[in-house]
Amino acid sequence: MGLRFAIDTGGTFTDLMVSSETGVLSMHKASTTPKDPVAGVLDSLRMAADASHESLQAYLARGELLMHGTTHAINAIVTGSTARTAFITTAGHPDTLVIREGGRMEPFNFTIAYPEPYVPRALTYEVPERMTVNGLAKMPLDEAAVLQILEQIKAAKVEAIGVCFLWSVVNPSHELAVGALIERHLPGIPYTLSHKINPSIREYRRAISTCIDASLKPIMGAYMRGLETRLREAGFNGRVLVVTSQGGVMDAAHAAEAPVHLINSGPSMAPVAAKAYGEAGDTDTLIVGDTGGTTFDVSLVHRGRIPRSRETWLGQPFRSHMTGMPSVDVKSIGAGGGSIAWVDAGGLLHVGPISAGAVPGPVCYRRGGTRPTVTDAAVALGFIDAKFFLGGKMSLDQQGAMDAIKRDVADPLKCDVETAAEAIMALATEHMVQAIMDITVNQGIDPSEATFVAGGGAAGLNCVAIARRLGCRRVLVTEAGAALSASGALISDLSAHYQAMFHTLSETFDQAGVNRVLQTLSDECADFAKNAGAGTAATQIDWSCEARYIEQAWEIEVPLRKGTFENARDAAVLVEDFHQMHQDKFAVSDPHAPIETVTWNAEVRCRIGSNELGRLAPDQRAEALPSRPVRYVGAGWVDSKVYRFEAIRSGVTIHGPAIIESDFTSIVIEPGAIAVRDRMGNLVIDVTEGAR
Amino acid sequence: MKHSSPSPLNGSALALLTARMEGIARKMANTLHRTGRSGILTIARDFSCVVLTAKHELLATAESLPIHVLRGPDIMAKTMSDNHPVLKRGDAFLHNSPYHGCTHPADHSILIPVIDDEGIHRFTVLAKAHQADCGNALPTTYMGAAKDVYAEGALIFPAVKIQDNYEHVMDIIRMCQLRIRVPEQWWGDYLATLGAARVGEREILALGKEIGWEKLEAYTQQWFDYSERRMIDVIRAMPKGRVTRKSTHDAFPATPSDGVTITATVEVKPEEALIEVDMTDNPDSMENGLNLSEACALSAPMLAIFNSIDHTVPKNEGSFRRIKIHLKDGSIAGRPRHPTSCSAATTNIADRVANPVQAALAELADGLGLAETGALLPPSCGVVSGVHHGKPFVNEVYLGCTGGAGAPMADGWLTILHAGNAGMCYQDSIEVDELRHPIFVHQRRLIPNSEGAGRFRGALGAYSEFAPVDCDMTVAYISDGNVNPALGTRGGLAGGNSAQFRMHADGSLEPLAACAEVVIAADERMVSISAGGGGYGAPYEREAYRVAHDVREGWVSRERAESIYGVALYDDMSVDENRTAQLRRQ
Repeated sequence: MGLRFAIDTGGTFTDLMVSSETGVLSMHKASTTPKDPVAGVLDSLRMAADASHESLQAYLARGELLMHGTTHAINAIVTGSTARTAFITTAGHPDTLVIREGGRMEPFNFTIAYPEPYVPRALTYEVPERMTVNGLAKMPLDEAAVLQILEQIKAAKVEAIGVCFLWSVVNPSHELAVGALIERHLPGIPYTLSHKINPSIREYRRAISTCIDASLKPIMGAYMRGLETRLREAGFNGRVLVVTSQGGVMDAAHAAEAPVHLINSGPSMAPVAAKAYGEAGDTDTLIVGDTGGTTFDVSLVHRGRIPRSRETWLGQPFRSHMTGMPSVDVKSIGAGGGSIAWVDAGGLLHVGPISAGAVPGPVCYRRGGTRPTVTDAAVALGFIDAKFFLGGKMSLDQQGAMDAIKRDVADPLKCDVETAAEAIMALATEHMVQAIMDITVNQGIDPSEATFVAGGGAAGLNCVAIARRLGCRRVLVTEAGAALSASGALISDLSAHYQAMFHTLSETFDQAGVNRVLQTLSDECADFAKNAGAGTAATQIDWSCEARYIEQAWEIEVPLRKGTFENARDAAVLVEDFHQMHQDKFAVSDPHAPIETVTWNAEVRCRIGSNELGRLAPDQRAEALPSRPVRYVGAGWVDSKVYRFEAIRSGVTIHGPAIIESDFTSIVIEPGAIAVRDRMGNLVIDVTEGAR
Repeated sequence: MKHSSPSPLNGSALALLTARMEGIARKMANTLHRTGRSGILTIARDFSCVVLTAKHELLATAESLPIHVLRGPDIMAKTMSDNHPVLKRGDAFLHNSPYHGCTHPADHSILIPVIDDEGIHRFTVLAKAHQADCGNALPTTYMGAAKDVYAEGALIFPAVKIQDNYEHVMDIIRMCQLRIRVPEQWWGDYLATLGAARVGEREILALGKEIGWEKLEAYTQQWFDYSERRMIDVIRAMPKGRVTRKSTHDAFPATPSDGVTITATVEVKPEEALIEVDMTDNPDSMENGLNLSEACALSAPMLAIFNSIDHTVPKNEGSFRRIKIHLKDGSIAGRPRHPTSCSAATTNIADRVANPVQAALAELADGLGLAETGALLPPSCGVVSGVHHGKPFVNEVYLGCTGGAGAPMADGWLTILHAGNAGMCYQDSIEVDELRHPIFVHQRRLIPNSEGAGRFRGALGAYSEFAPVDCDMTVAYISDGNVNPALGTRGGLAGGNSAQFRMHADGSLEPLAACAEVVIAADERMVSISAGGGGYGAPYEREAYRVAHDVREGWVSRERAESIYGVALYDDMSVDENRTAQLRRQ
């Protein structure tokens, strides 16, 4: 086995994790290069080659696999650089993308414009055709009308086409016919059919998935080709894979054909890493917080599973568009090291959601930022060593940070700078706690039974405070937690997700019909394993069914115990599992009520990496660093012990107050908390001691 | 900082506890949304969750429907305390009485007093949920034509104990189950609403234990003071003035033949930092279901005020101190007397109260207020019912209702639904509706040229056309705006009117009454046209590129762009600057 690389391109940093031939890990961070993200990818690889004292060519030649998490797809949407896309819809229903599903946030805020449809109405074309709920063609497809429309599309210089007809999930023949006509009359124009990319009900969600997918095909195709070409030129001969929103990886060329899967590429890997590293703990429920410069991403592992959601928004909820695709459930709020603090005219403190971002950044970065941020507060309190930031690569302006806090927060609140800095940290913590509680209550998770897994460069500043507020007993900071998503990508499976709609009631369970659907899905999984998954170590299929009580509006996803229903007992087990899942999520169930199934899912996973979680190379530097003054909540200024994360031996116990620093992050061990390094290199912090 | 400051809480403690309290209200709402049984809760999200102090002051509302929560919860909580002088932990009360602070009888509310370990009543939590059915004489929760509360038929609960020591009072449950259609659905929704309120109770008890009840009480008063200060600053910056505006609801059963004209007089008094709304110059209650409850009569002008000013002012007892609403007893837009029917109190007349208030504020100064929002409730969001192959069905649908008002800085929000809802409810998926009910939706589309033109235009109206499948279907609706559109303000124009038709098998259209329950046969179609929103500012002030965009998108015709907006376009749809300048000079 050769070198394996996992590269996560974030907004500020490009994180690289390398696993050597012997399973030893190394971590590298390069700056993200937004105009040409592949340059940042190559920069990070060059850093790793330098660290290994090899030429990039020779180093990459040892490479076997490269997994890439990229924000390129979402950035293309945000910056409007996707293809000029047409939307072909059922006659009578041209405004599916305009009306969306309704809903609004901030009911009294009339300063925000209603979002423009993802595809302009001017490029929306109605085709005479209509299927019924039973898949009967109430109106046949008018092929002559389609041909006229394709002429108009050509004249409109359209670069991609999304096709979504009502009930195409029950009978796709009209969509297929239009697809064939596009191939014949507009050869080379990329298109997407809704029943293929997202076979589920709710026309808005299917249509939006379809149009996003089509609109990304040209740009993501070019990106993937560019990535592969430049990696090859640089000397890499291995396999290039990309991270999907569903928490797996797929071949770059394959992903280019279904780029809607890449919207959440990157953040989806945080819970994958947390699950792998946290599994050995005493709970299988994890709350995962990934704190970067501008956003705080929350995800979950619930009873050993990573929950999925179909409600992933491209921007703010209700003010943007949903992807409509099943994705790892990640909630993102504008809170991070760059969140700005200020006091309003009425004397109330605010922290975020406005962010100083990477540019101009916090005041202490000396890049032109003038407003105090969470990072500035951390510097003022001594949490971050102003003289040894990022392993000494950058020195910070502590005085500047304190002056800004004094001017914008301490003076208006009539308190000293340290108190103001503590207040900023406390409010930032509370916003993160509220974001976590929104997602845990929706998944029916009691935070006091979970471990909080803190990842990202800024996570250590308040991870103990967050866990204490949530009532978690334990915090886990993985050895490579500063690059949590990349460390997840390194161990992720090659995977594909197949789904089909099939409606049946528990009272009149259509076993033969369900088995036919499952067999189709099983065949698709087998194809995938045979082709993309050829030569992989092990293949596994995770089955699930989306079902609901009959009057309900929303389905929940219930894992199936196997891929076929052999007898009535199997159906009864599904119904029991549904009631249990409903009870878990919502604290209520209706054990005598019948259920109805809507969607059936199969996720095929092929293991490509090793089963072993690697460790960073042992660090020969001293464990203890010089002490420094740090201000802890409730303890005031303390001449605090400081430890080097990489050098702490496993089993050594560290009592708070203390700071544990790595080259990439700084972890605040508050008074009363106890940290210990486990065999996997994780830092496990028991936050409850102080309370007893 | 060991010494204590003069004020026990500074701006950071205030911010922290506010995040905690809002978090509690949001957790209640999330619980209700995920556990409700009926479509109206889980799809449309027609519910609200709030926290009040023991003195019945509104403290936290999460993101609720404005018409549900601004005023009313305070009156309901007071009714609970007045009727039950001894409140104990474990109590819960069912409340839907429009004569005691509830919006209308379909909004079943659960109130729970939060009692500390010493037995002291510290807070009240309230969860309010619109029911799919509330036991009315007809299968609809909007009985527009009901003569009085007896004709409505719903059971009325003026803060009636429904849980004692955390156990259901089964007498009350059984009464509901015998009166309310689809009782299993009601039971599921009741459990969800109760569960949400219990979540709120549990969280506040934990917070009180952690923070201390005295400190929490001090927090509430300081938060109100802060909110009041914010409101004072906002009103002091407004121009002094008094504006009277009228808005007319179309003629309905038991109204005068020219409809119901509502008069609102808004007075801004910057020197007193006060906004007053006089609603006393209005007709007496009528023998129909349009009369406002006290909660709606107070909330409608207030939501219009908050729509019109800096949206970051917190909405609670503190900011409410700077608003005075004058109501008349026994008026259609005042305090109703039993047995006046308030069946449709949240929508029709309430919107005719909110609309002139926000449009009047706009007249005071550019940058304030809103135009009028489109009226409700066309057949596209009516209640459909019938029997299909022997199985009965009933549900409210949301098949296209828009109506957002032009604002000082943005066009009307498309899916606003109506003024009191503020767009918080969802719109139906056609596939989900066709799967759940025997209906077939032929069309749902926006109607070009139906926007209220303006510098910022109103939303377009929506056209929908739907039919039953293999059965007859009753559609119950109360569609205002057939005659009186949503007016513009500051020179903005009115939005398109609403309308409704029966489409016969031959395609001909038969106009239908505005307030009706109509039976649509299997070979017929229901055609519903919803109202557009009014425009803000004169259409000639609309930036030309916005007009060109509307034309390209098909929302506005080229002719209308020229004649109404004074914008001329080239054939490639780009702006002809010279001709536009010429047109706009005329």
